[in-house]
Amino acid sequence: MRIGVCIKQVPDTDSQLRIADSGRGIDDSDLNWVISSCDLCALEEALLLAEAELARGEERPELVVFSLGPARVEEALRKALALGADRAVHLADEALQGGDALADGRALAAAVAKEHCDLVLTGAQSDDIGQAATPAVIAEILGFPYAWLVMAVELDSGKRSLRVVRELEAGMNEVLRLDLPALLAIQSGINKPRFASLRGTLQARKKPLRHEDRRGLEVDAARVGAAGAGFETESVTLPPAGAGGVMIEGVSAETAAEELIAHLEREAVL
Amino acid sequence: MEGAGGGPGTQEVRACGRALGGNCRVALLDEEHLGPYAPGLYAEALRALITDGDGEDPAAPLVVLLPHTYQSAEYAPRLAVRLDAAYIASVSAATIDDAGRVRFRRSILQARLRAEVRPRKRTVVATVQIGAFGGTDPAASPDAVVKVGRPADIEEHEEREVLGREAAGGGGVDLAGAERIVTAGRGVGGSDEVSVAAELAVALDAELGASRPVVDNGWLPREHQVGSSGHIVAPNLYLALGVSGSIQHLMGMSGSRIIVAINKDPEAPIFSVAHYGIVADLHEVAPVLTRLLEARRSS
Ligand SMILES: Cc1cc2nc3c(=O)[nH]c(=O)nc-3n(C[C@H](O)[C@H](O)[C@H](O)COP(=O)(O)OP(=O)(O)OC[C@H]3O[C@@H](n4cnc5c(N)ncnc54)[C@H](O)[C@@H]3O)c2cc1C
Ligand SMILES: Nc1ncnc2c1ncn2[C@@H]1O[C@H](COP(=O)(O)O)[C@@H](O)[C@H]1O
Repeated sequence: MRIGVCIKQVPDTDSQLRIADSGRGIDDSDLNWVISSCDLCALEEALLLAEAELARGEERPELVVFSLGPARVEEALRKALALGADRAVHLADEALQGGDALADGRALAAAVAKEHCDLVLTGAQSDDIGQAATPAVIAEILGFPYAWLVMAVELDSGKRSLRVVRELEAGMNEVLRLDLPALLAIQSGINKPRFASLRGTLQARKKPLRHEDRRGLEVDAARVGAAGAGFETESVTLPPAGAGGVMIEGVSAETAAEELIAHLEREAVL
Repeated sequence: MEGAGGGPGTQEVRACGRALGGNCRVALLDEEHLGPYAPGLYAEALRALITDGDGEDPAAPLVVLLPHTYQSAEYAPRLAVRLDAAYIASVSAATIDDAGRVRFRRSILQARLRAEVRPRKRTVVATVQIGAFGGTDPAASPDAVVKVGRPADIEEHEEREVLGREAAGGGGVDLAGAERIVTAGRGVGGSDEVSVAAELAVALDAELGASRPVVDNGWLPREHQVGSSGHIVAPNLYLALGVSGSIQHLMGMSGSRIIVAINKDPEAPIFSVAHYGIVADLHEVAPVLTRLLEARRSS
């Protein structure tokens, strides 16, 4: 049994964002890059599933992590190896970069198929572009049963089936059964991702990390990377600040609190 | 152009379709005609409808709109693959220029920035953000409505089976009925620091809310969560501490009468819905606010 996990590297939520001179994206020269938050939960869930298999006396599934991105994503893959993944595949080829969820999904689907994964876990939505579409595209291309916003997973490797809890709006969940091979997009809150140990970090250096390119994946150059993207970004802007609201700024905490209370008294909400 | 929708978000889908000024057809997907929801089935039924109905001008843009609900956002990308269309998720505005070029607006980086995007394909599948497009338009004439039926040649094999439904978390917190809510966001910093929000809530006689990361990290139980996957609230006063203002959070509270936000980032998107905003470290302002409100109460 082999479990694949797709991880995307994104700017840290707390980084200061600057719009690039082109106005079409963010200036990525001085950002702190991390694994997207849901993807850490997807990796943690894969580790938990593998540990549970082992505890049941089954063979431990092999965990393979995939990431598409420039050279910097190797750091994210090494981190995943330090957390306990066995192998990493970096979709590093220039021809694969600059795509959208459709283009990236095609390339990732080819990589996942090449590794013959029985189960693929991804995050529900990336913290940067956030189309929440890459996993659905991979599932569609591979013909895998798919569930988005997964909040619990139980694996029955003997029957090759999964029992999955999927989140719905307004505090309801749906319980589903899916057959393997399948793809699950994991929602944050399903688990609490572990931290890498020093031992894990040392071991990660020796674990295999393989590069994959467009030719090796046998994907059409016109359907991946920037050439395969279904849309282009014309401009990026800040949301309008304080749409008519009163802003209290640059004063002491005492003054800010007093001003706010005066406003709230006038609004008769106190 | 084509609008597809039914159930929640139908109004937004229609309003977005009208913003594009096109000739709209509304497709209703209901379980009665289509059978129980499964992503592959719904994607296939829409693909069949759209491909078959496509005897129109082959150069004209074809826009398929769905509401960005947890159901349609699950299968819409699969429809885009089947139609070889562009896919654009959770749009909050749409325009069309004289040359017939369609343009959409969507939020990126957790709503901290907005992007204007243009499809590079003739066909585009887009999901419409719930709550965008200013809600309903009762004066509009009813569009032609097509009920989507089950495709004849769909495989009988179910890709996934629904075993049941259950409530996600325990009740016990009366957020929906609350007059005032103080919400702790990830900016409070940790489980020990949630007390700054809790103490302010007591001083204001308010209920305590939480953003999703606060709940995911176990700083507060799930029943405190406000947002699209938590409670939808509309109190008289909503005070957000260290909440950035993601779409999913705003969906749960933007109907509140007075919104106050305290955030150290002057560019935080929460300020675009706040009636009163304080740009400051919440750990400096909230305790002072608590002290002044307590003093005010006892005087
Ligand atoms: C399908 C789906 C459903 C979701 N449902 C929900 C939902 O129901 N509810 C929900 O809330 N989210 C939901 N989310 C998550 C959502 O996308 C955001 O990740 C989340 O709302 C962010 O929470 P936050 O604002 O607390 O944290 P962040 O976005 O991390 O923001 C923290 C803020 O605190 C500020 N800050 C930090 N330190 C301080 C300080 N000392 N003083 C003042 N300010 C400070 C920062 O400037 C920042 O703006 C959902 C996501 C998905 C994909
Ligand atoms: N470049 C990428 N490399 C690896 N996984 C990705 C990549 N882009 C998206 N994913 C996966 O798809 C999920 C959803 O991403 P998105 O469609 O961008 O919202 C992410 O949480 C990842 O698990």
